Parts: sequence; structure tokens; C-alpha cells
Amino acid sequence: MSVLRAEGLIVPARIGPLTVPALRDLNLALAPGKVLGLVGESGAGKSMVGRAIAQMLPPGFTVSGRGLHFAGQDLLTMPATERRALLGRQIAFIPQEPLSALNPVRTIGSQFGEHLRRVGVADWRAAAVAALQSVHLPDPAGLLDRYPHQLSGGMCQRVLIAMAFASKPALVVADEPTTALDVTIQARIIRVMRELQQLHDTAVLFITHDLRLAAEVCDEIAVLYAGGVVEHGPAEVVLNEPLHPYTKCLLLSAPEIHGPRRGLYTLPEQMPGLRALADIPGCRFAPRCPLARESCRNAPALLVLKDAHRVACPYPGEVPGISAGPALAAPEGQAGAVLVEARDLGKTFRTGTPFRRRAVAAVQGVNFTLHEGEFLGVVGESGSGKSTLARLLMGLERPTSGEIRLAGRDVSRWDGAARRTRLQTAQMVFQDPQSALNPRRRVASIVTQALEAAGLPAATREAKAAEILADLGMPAELGSRFPNQLSGGQRQRVNIGRALCLVPKLLVADEIVSGLDVSVQAQLLALLARLRAEHRFALLLISHDLAVVRYLCERVMVMQRGVVVEQGRTEDVFANPQHPYTKELLAAVPKG
Amino acid sequence: MIPRWARDGRVLVGLVLLSAVLVVALLAPWLAGMAPDDQDLLATLLPASWQDGGDAAHWLGTDSLGRDVFARLLYGARVALTVAAIAAPGAMVAGTVAALLAGYLGGWFDWLVGRAVDVWMSFPPVILSLILMVGLGTGTRNVIFAIMLVDWTRFCRVLRAEVLVVARRDYVTAAGLVGFGHVRILLREVFPAIVPLLITLLTLEMGIAVVVEAILSFVGLGVKADEVAWGQMIADGRSTIYQAPFNLLAPVVAIFLTVAGFNLLGDGLRRSLDVRLLEGRG
Amino acid sequence: MVLSFARRLAAVGPILLVVSLLLFVALRLLPVDPAAMSMPPTATKVEIEAARSAMGLDRPLVEQYAIWLGQTLHGDFGTSIHMRRPVGGLLLETLPATIELSVAAMIVAGLLGIGGGLALFALRNRRGEAVAELTTTLMMSIPEFLWALLFIFLFGVLLSALPFTGRLDPGMTRPVVSGFLLLDALLVGRPDIYASALRHLLLPAAALGIAFAPPVMRVLRTSLVDVYQEDYIRQARLRGVGEARILLAHALKNAILPTLTLMGVQFGFLFGGSLLVEVIYAYPGMGNLMVDAVRNADLPIIQAVALTYCVVVLAITSAVDALVLLLNPRLRA
Repeated sequence: MSVLRAEGLIVPARIGPLTVPALRDLNLALAPGKVLGLVGESGAGKSMVGRAIAQMLPPGFTVSGRGLHFAGQDLLTMPATERRALLGRQIAFIPQEPLSALNPVRTIGSQFGEHLRRVGVADWRAAAVAALQSVHLPDPAGLLDRYPHQLSGGMCQRVLIAMAFASKPALVVADEPTTALDVTIQARIIRVMRELQQLHDTAVLFITHDLRLAAEVCDEIAVLYAGGVVEHGPAEVVLNEPLHPYTKCLLLSAPEIHGPRRGLYTLPEQMPGLRALADIPGCRFAPRCPLARESCRNAPALLVLKDAHRVACPYPGEVPGISAGPALAAPEGQAGAVLVEARDLGKTFRTGTPFRRRAVAAVQGVNFTLHEGEFLGVVGESGSGKSTLARLLMGLERPTSGEIRLAGRDVSRWDGAARRTRLQTAQMVFQDPQSALNPRRRVASIVTQALEAAGLPAATREAKAAEILADLGMPAELGSRFPNQLSGGQRQRVNIGRALCLVPKLLVADEIVSGLDVSVQAQLLALLARLRAEHRFALLLISHDLAVVRYLCERVMVMQRGVVVEQGRTEDVFANPQHPYTKELLAAVPKG
Repeated sequence: MIPRWARDGRVLVGLVLLSAVLVVALLAPWLAGMAPDDQDLLATLLPASWQDGGDAAHWLGTDSLGRDVFARLLYGARVALTVAAIAAPGAMVAGTVAALLAGYLGGWFDWLVGRAVDVWMSFPPVILSLILMVGLGTGTRNVIFAIMLVDWTRFCRVLRAEVLVVARRDYVTAAGLVGFGHVRILLREVFPAIVPLLITLLTLEMGIAVVVEAILSFVGLGVKADEVAWGQMIADGRSTIYQAPFNLLAPVVAIFLTVAGFNLLGDGLRRSLDVRLLEGRG
Repeated sequence: MVLSFARRLAAVGPILLVVSLLLFVALRLLPVDPAAMSMPPTATKVEIEAARSAMGLDRPLVEQYAIWLGQTLHGDFGTSIHMRRPVGGLLLETLPATIELSVAAMIVAGLLGIGGGLALFALRNRRGEAVAELTTTLMMSIPEFLWALLFIFLFGVLLSALPFTGRLDPGMTRPVVSGFLLLDALLVGRPDIYASALRHLLLPAAALGIAFAPPVMRVLRTSLVDVYQEDYIRQARLRGVGEARILLAHALKNAILPTLTLMGVQFGFLFGGSLLVEVIYAYPGMGNLMVDAVRNADLPIIQAVALTYCVVVLAITSAVDALVLLLNPRLRA
């Protein structure tokens, strides 16, 4: 018997006059002690499944269907009080953002105690300590008196995992439990979850956007696209022999850390939003599918193929034929002249009160050179100082030691000459377009802001805006839109476009593809590669994603706690890492 | 297309109320039919015209010196609106400039502005304006000046916090990187972001100015003795509350309607311009 | 935590110094001569000059300020020009009355503000919301002195239900122990005085309190709405925590923090607003002392009373700061 069984589950959403199914006809079964992965990009509806179980849906959304059975009872028809009695006892949830999922004004102990007392544990203190021990947190007793802001994200997530498993639930729903965490922390969190899951023989619904991570964690995988399951089967089979074109394209559009270098598959457009779904009568993937044909206009049924591998496509035989194309060609010949040279660069921040001064060395003793036209990746986890390095280069922070030379000139000091040099040679792309694009400026005005600064007339700026938008692969009419009228990928293009307006020799890009869906990320990486060929700029790419750096950059620099621990040619460093931290980073990347 | 703020019910009601007060103030000489300081010592403390013993010539009755309450009410609106229309923008300009510079530049200037606000905040506004009026002497111009001196901090406190948020946005940094100077960044990137908040605050401050003028006139430290103000009428009418209640009630209602007009307008703007405002009135 | 509070408290000293300086300078702009006013009208020029130098008014301003500050720090607030009594004694008589009124008003404002905020929050996305919101907007359009007049008119004149002048019924003598009338009535065992004092306090306290409650309501409502969007509320629900517990043990503990911060500011304003209410209810507190002093250009009183208002406001703000510090672990160093 299965712990959780969804039969024809539908989550209709009302948008104005329309009613669109955010989830349609979902059929799933989760056996005790098994881990089922729900994989998909944002908007696929994967989080709706978890929300439907708790019946905590956003306004305008409802749940219906033939049934959503938990241990034989139908969660859909059950009275609300009974369902709430199951939550926290029989069904537990692990959240996406551990830092904000704990109440900031209450101690860990008070929240843990509240939960355990509700579950009916008599000696909650002993039980809490035991639970915290089971997730390998040091000093569990002391932890009970601490507040969430005194812990790291990884520690908070362990607390939440301990809480989730404390009542020995039959089902745990983990919604992107590691997305907010660094890759080495992710590996540890996954290990802890695995341990507890096997110990208690718990069934886990693991929701993630990362197919490879899912393949590593789960027994079975269901791939969702636009509110429906397109492929469902044993984890290794789905990963290694996908039979749906979407699964295959998704795998091919994510760069890899191992194996031979290859190109990325670029899916056109993006997943249709809820509103657009109403206009797609047949296979929802058809508009983007490389195998689509006229007959795909009729909704395909979920076919059962060999064993338990089901796929919602009538042409699975053609899927292995989809390929990504060749790897990016390394630029020919010897690199150009030295563009950036950092010598013994350091930045120490002074924080704290006048009574207790603290100095934090964000960057120390960094030496590197960047040649014209060269792509250099800087990898490291949060707190490694990679963003501070970017800000030092751009003159947004003043170095406390060492020097930076840009195009042969010393720009360590803050003066007019350094500012002019930077203005002529370097530009920066910021991580979060939400913050980096002025919501009150139109797209055309944003991408030509550099010309506005130089005092060029409006007509010139307009012409240039059209040129830049074409360069970015965006239609010219988007120029009159405001940033909040664009999709995430389009916003990031505008963000890049502004920096490229004056065609700088150096582009500093801080995490510009993080937080984007893989298919959008692939489009942006392709755009960067094309712009590189056209404009020949050098790139300093800051990223926590080693695979992206491997795909795009010739050289890589690994940073840890403000220090560069290893640098060299990307292929050499990744194939044969020398420093233990580099090895740890590489080992932590999910292989599937 | 009509902008969203113009379709908000509160905005409309507020505008209607305020336009009515404005029209009445402008047309006071024609509507009143007599001068506000015309005394008729034979007809003091008359009740309203529809009550027993009322006189059709004095719609809302007369005060203890036989002056027409209705005429005084209309002329009082002139003072109230003049003060609101000059004092509130004055306080806004002072507070906004301080907030923009403090929030954007930071450093010692921010420290200075912060401490100045601290000092101002330790004075209850009523006390501070009283003291200023003692120092400056009575008169409409001094009332305006006192309100500006007291209330610039209302703008400064709220706007500085907002400027700090905006100035930390990456687009402000990015503007500097593409070659914008500080002045241009302040005017083109930071200032437009605080305009909705500014307009909302200005509207609310106008209501506050009306109240402060009434308070000062009530205590006898507002307009000069020969000018007419609602606060003064309330002070006069208080002693004759049993004989002629309209002497007191008419200015009370006038103040309420005017302030409500500004508050409804401000509230409607706050909602439709999507401004977050966690601020009190004092 | 003690440290961070001590640091805030240390900032109060310099603020008070600047406040006193500002007061001094502002009042020296006054175009009246306190020396002349303190003398009988028959006094000669020479006599007035003598009084001037006796009062120190012929010395440089800086010196005058230093002298005044020194005396004030020693508890010597000078002598009232008009009433010819030590100002310190006048303050001791009137400050407790004003504090009694203000504390009563703060209780009204706090209860009404928090109760109203919860009610507004309970009404969100329901039919009554628009009406409730409109009511608060209209309430905010009535300043404390209009409430005071309205309450007199309604409960005093029309209903004749409550007294609206002074602190006690005529004929009763005020027992003087601490100056806080309600307390003193209990101390001397006079329930009749206690009842009369309470009835006299009711209208002014309600008028003052109700005027400062609406902003508190709004902030509490907005903060609660914000807090309910937070992940930790959703996570608590997913753990099966009941709605009542979520409100009391999770949401309110967070939403009360911005509310308290605003209440600190509001209560400072409220303390200043007591001046008008005192004037309207002929309540013998600092406000009436101040207004009389202003009319008589009684400089020593104006200076001392204004400074006292500032000290109390700073005390209120510091107390609220300490409370917020106590309730918000994130602010503790």
C-alpha cells in the first residue's frame, strides 16, 4: 500500500475570468520508505503538490480530483481539523528558506518544544536534544537557547529537518530544501536527510529544479512541465535514458562538471505562464519541442512503456537523437595584452561598535592577471570574498592593501583618473536584475544610460537602444516597456545590455545566471558566448556554479574565506584539483 | 487613461471636500455678506437662524461681541488654507533636501541630520511650536515659519529611511558605473523613487498644518488679534457653550472637514501609489 | 544588551544639552524685558537696570546660559516673575497631575490601539474592512483638542454625565502626599475623593488617548499583515500549529515590535498633547502652568516647563527602546 496516492489531482487557478489548471490530472503513488522526486522548472507546478497535501494554496487556487489519499484517508474530503491533526505528526514539511522558516524572536528550544509538546512528547527537552543530535548538530543542549539569527542557514535547515523527523512521520515533503544553501552544505544536508529517512523508513516527496540532484537522492523521478507529469520512472533510467524530449532537453541545457565538454541545448522561449496555458490545446511542450509535429496539437496521454517508466510523448524513439551540439571553441591563438593585474590585493572591513571593533578580512593577498578577451571564472561559496573582489575591481570598494592595474594604469586609489579609466574600460553586471534595473526607467533608457551620462542627444540614444536590443536578441518594441513587464531572462539581458552599451574591454559579472531556470540560463550563456565573438571583451565571471564556469571560462580561480586557494586553466583545475577545498567543492556537485 | 490614483474613492472625496473649502475661502467676501469683525452689540450670542430667537441675517448666529459666526467661519478658512499651502511645502523642501543628502551621502552629514532629528523629536511638537511662537511673536507669517521649523523632521525621518533603501539598490551603483555624477544620480535615480511617498506626506502635512494653526490660535499664540482663525473662534465659543453652541461647533466641524479632506486624499494616494507609511500624527 | 541600551542612554545627555541651548536661544529672541516686568510700573529706569544686573541679564548670552544651566542642574529653576514663587515648587505641584493624566491617556491609547489593530486585522479581506479603514482615517482627522471639545459637548453638556473642569468636585480638598491624586486618595483612605478624581480624569484621558490610538491601530494591522506573509508562519501552520497559537505565540510577538517603536513616538506626542487637553478641561497640570506663563512672558517657568516636557519625552522614548531591545533578540549585541 502506498503512503501517498494522487488520483487525477487537479489544481485549478482562477485568473480573472479564466480558470486554468495549475496542476492537471496528476497521478502519483509513493510507497513507504521510498523517495519520489518531483522535478521541473519554476512554474511547472511542482510546489503545488506539496501545497495541495496541506491544502494551503495561494488565493484563487483550489484542489479537486478523484482523490489524494494519505494512508488510506482522502485528504481532499477530510475535515480541516482532521487534516491539521495529521500535519506535524504524520506529515511533515521541510522548507526552502531555512533562515526565514524559524520565528526570529523565539529560541530554537521554544519552537522545538512547542512542536514536541503538540506531538505529545512528555520530556521534550531530552527529545529535542536527541533529535538535534541525530542531525549531527554540535552542542544540541546549548543550541536550544539560541535564536535563529545566531545560526547559519545550514544549521537552521538541520534544526528544521530534526523537527520534521521528530514525530516519526510517515511522509516528509521537502520543497527545494537545499536551494538556498551552498553546494558543500547541500551535500551534508542531503546526507542527513537520507540518514533519517532510511532510519525511520520514511516516505519522502522531494521537490527540486535540479534533475541531477533528484537522481542522486530519489528512487523515482516525475518530471513536470506546465502543470502535468511528462515523464515518470526509476531515477537512473530517467536520468540516463530519458524518453521525453523535455527531459532530454533539460539535461542537455545544464552544463556538466564531469565528462567530456559539450555544448548546451538551447530551448527557445520559456515555459508558458498560467495565463498562456489556456491557449495551448494539445501537448503543452509542443511549441518548444524539437520533435513537435501537427499531431501534437491533441493532448497526448501518459503512455506506459517498459516496467514503470511512463512518458507523455508518442515519439520516445526519437528522443535519444536530440543532441546539444559542439562545445564552445576556445578562442584561437595566444591571449591578448594584460588587461587587469591585481597584486597582493586585500580588503578588510571594520565593523562592530566603538566598544568592540572587529576587522573582517573579506579579501586578502589576491594575485591574478586577466588578459584581453579572456574569460576568467571566480568560484567559491558565500563568504568567500568573490563579490568583494568584483567590487574592488570596479572601484565600489577601496582596497586596504595591494594594488589593481587596469589597462596598465593603477586604479587602486580613488581619484578622477582612476574613475575615467574604469569608465572607459570596465563595466559590471549585477546579480539581481530586480535591484539592478530602475523600475521607473524604460528598457531603452536603461540600456543607453551610459550615452545619457555622456550627454548624447535622444535620437542617437534611441538608435543605439534598438541596436543593443537586437544584439541581445530582444524585439525592439520591448524598448518602451518597464522592467517589471519583462520576464526574468529578459531582465537579465537588459542588465547585460546596459553594461555592454559602450563595449567595455572588461565585463565583471556577479552571479548573473544564478536563480534562473536551466533553460533560461542556457539562453543567457549562449548569448554571452555570441557577444564574446562579436565584441571581444574579457569577462570576470563570479559564480557559485562550477559547471557554468567550466562551460564558459578558460581559466578559473577558487576562493575560500577571502583567499585564492587555487587557480589555473579550467580543464586542469577541474580534472586534477590540487587544493582540498577545490576537491571538496567538486565532490559536492550532484552527479546524478 | 485616468491614472489609478484619480479613480480612488478616497482621493475623490478628499478633493471634493478640499475644493469646497478652497472655493468658500476664495469667495468669502461675497458669500459672507458682512465683514467678520462687524460688531453688533445689540445682537450678541444669537442662536442659529433656524432656532428660536434666530435672526435670518446671521445664519449660524453671532458670538459674544455680536459678530457673525458664518462670516468668521469663511474668513477663518482663508487663514487655515494659507498656512497649509505655504507651511507644508516649506517643511517638505527643508526635510527632503536634508533627507536626500543625509541618506545618499551618509557619513558626518547623515550623523548631523540624525542628531538634529533626535533633538527635535525630544520636543513634543505642541511645546516646540508654542516656544517658537513665544520667541517669534504672533501673526500668520510666524505661524507658517514655526510649522516649517517644527515639521521638517516629519519629512526628514521618513524620507531618509526611504532614501537609504533606494540608495542601496544596485541600479544606483550601476548609474555611477556608467558615468552619472552624484547630482544626476540623486535627481534622476533616487529622487523619482521617493516622489510618491513625498506627495502622500505633503498631503498629510497640510492637514497637520491646519491643526497646528488652530491649536496656536486657540491658545492665543497664532494669528494676530485682528485676524480671524478657527482656533480663536473655538477659544471664544468655549465659554458660551450653553447659550450659543454653534460658536463652538461650527469651527470644530470646519477643522474636521478640512483635515479629513487632506487625510482622505493622503490615504487614497498612499494606497493607489502603493506607498508604505508607518507613521503617526502628533 | 545592557551595553547597547547604555549606549542609547548615553546619547540622551548630549541631546538634552542641545535642547536646553535651543530653548535658551529661542526665548532670548523674545522682545520683552523680564526685568521690567518683574518691577512695579512705578519703577525708575535706574531701578530696572539694577534688577537687570541682579538677574544677570546684562552679562553676555553665553555666560547667562552657563549660569542658568548650572542652576538648573542643581535643581534651582529660578523664581517665577509673575507669581513670585520658586519654579521648582510649581513644577512639583503640576508635574504629577500631568503625568497622571498622560499615563491614563496612554492606557486608553494602548488598549484602543492594540484592540483596534487586532480588529482591523481580523476584518482584512472582509466586507467590513472598508468601513473600518474609513473610520480610522476620519478618527485621525480629529486632533486631541477637538476630541476634548467633542467629549465636553457630548458627555458634559448634552448628557451631563461627567464633570469636565478640574481634578475634583468643588468643595473637596486635595490630599497632598505624592501629588498623584488617585494614589493619594487611596493613601489617605478617601474613596469619595478617589471616585471624584477618577470621574474627572475620565473625559480628558479618553480624549487624549483616543487621539493617539489610530496610528497604533494601523501599524499593528500592517505589521500583522506583513508577518503573516513570512515563511515561519507558513512553516508553523505546516507543523499543524493552531491559528490562535499562531497569532499569539508567533505573529504577535513579531508584529508588536514595530508597533511598540511607534507607540514610543506617539506617547511622546501624547505627553505634549496633554497641554491642550489640560487647558480645555481646566486641569491644573504643567500645560496650564505653561500657557499662563506664555501669556505673562514668565521666562523662568517657560524654560523649566519646556525642559521638563523634553526630559519626560526622552524618558518615554528610552523606556520604549529598552522594551523593544528586550523583546527583539536580533537587536541584542
